[in-house]
Amino acid sequence: MQRSILWVLIAFLAVSCNQTVNKEGDNQEASKTEQIISATIVELLAAPADYQDKEVAVSGMVTHVCKHGGQKCFIVADDGETQIRIVPGGDIDEFKVEMEGSTIAFKGTFRVQTAVLAEEQLEDYESKEHHEEEQSHSSAEKAEYFLEAVDFKEVTQ
Amino acid sequence: MSWRKLNRWIHRELGFLFFGMTIIYGISGIALNHSVARHWNPGLITKATSIQYPGTLQKADVDRATIEKILELTGEKENYKQYYFPNEDHLMIYLKGGHITVDLPTGSMQLTKIRNRPVFQELNYLHYNKPKKLWTWFSDLYALGLVLIAISGLFLIKGRKGITGRGGILTIIGILIPLALLIVYLWL
Repeated sequence: MQRSILWVLIAFLAVSCNQTVNKEGDNQEASKTEQIISATIVELLAAPADYQDKEVAVSGMVTHVCKHGGQKCFIVADDGETQIRIVPGGDIDEFKVEMEGSTIAFKGTFRVQTAVLAEEQLEDYESKEHHEEEQSHSSAEKAEYFLEAVDFKEVTQ
Repeated sequence: MSWRKLNRWIHRELGFLFFGMTIIYGISGIALNHSVARHWNPGLITKATSIQYPGTLQKADVDRATIEKILELTGEKENYKQYYFPNEDHLMIYLKGGHITVDLPTGSMQLTKIRNRPVFQELNYLHYNKPKKLWTWFSDLYALGLVLIAISGLFLIKGRKGITGRGGILTIIGILIPLALLIVYLWL
């Protein structure tokens, strides 16, 4: 029995070592430098075609984080009204509810949804978090524009 | 060693080895089931309290002094972060660990405190494979072990109560139930 447990542990460690090599490869990939455009939420939404699929940096106060898995959050512009949806990308697994009320600077890719993406997002909207009443972020939730964030940093609290 | 002896050995040893993992996935599985069904949020505990503001408010009149007064009334002065107006009639004050929603025309306030639910949060962290890395491999190993435990379990007992008797009937029922529900919910 001791021998068999030893084999299990050896197999486990062998697989783990292989994973470390892959991680190094990922890091090299991530180190590629790309040009990042700094923009406000209003600027992004005023001319979405100019920013489509480009790396952008945008900041704002987080008004809402999806409580069912943290797979989206919303930030509001300085006008206090315009909001944009942020979804996790890259190494970000989820957004924490603690982010609500904090001003966060996000870096990521500005996406304009295709028909396929829009359909997927609609399914997500209906299945993950559906509010009975219209919320201030509802239009941003259903909007065809969003930011796929790969990094974020709290600016103030 | 006969194949039956080997089968029992596999079932027993893997059963012991993966006891902890079965508990983790079993409990978090129930929690996630109900999370998806929206019965409750296994990751967070939310507590709401209603408090009345003395008088009514208008968006244009809300200033730092108003915010201070609300924070004092709710006892949340130390936890203040920022505020904004979701619409003309509502004020949202964000706190560390929650928020205050104020209905301006009526002055009714709702203090919502949010905190992480202990144990479930950690179990879900593992169930969703948030750690990745080593956890991916160990949980894969567990999944494989679970298949082996299930298959070896079929052949533990011989005779009337085994796979050729009552055990076989129970096995078929256990396969037919998910199959029937799949047909009803997915294809009908």
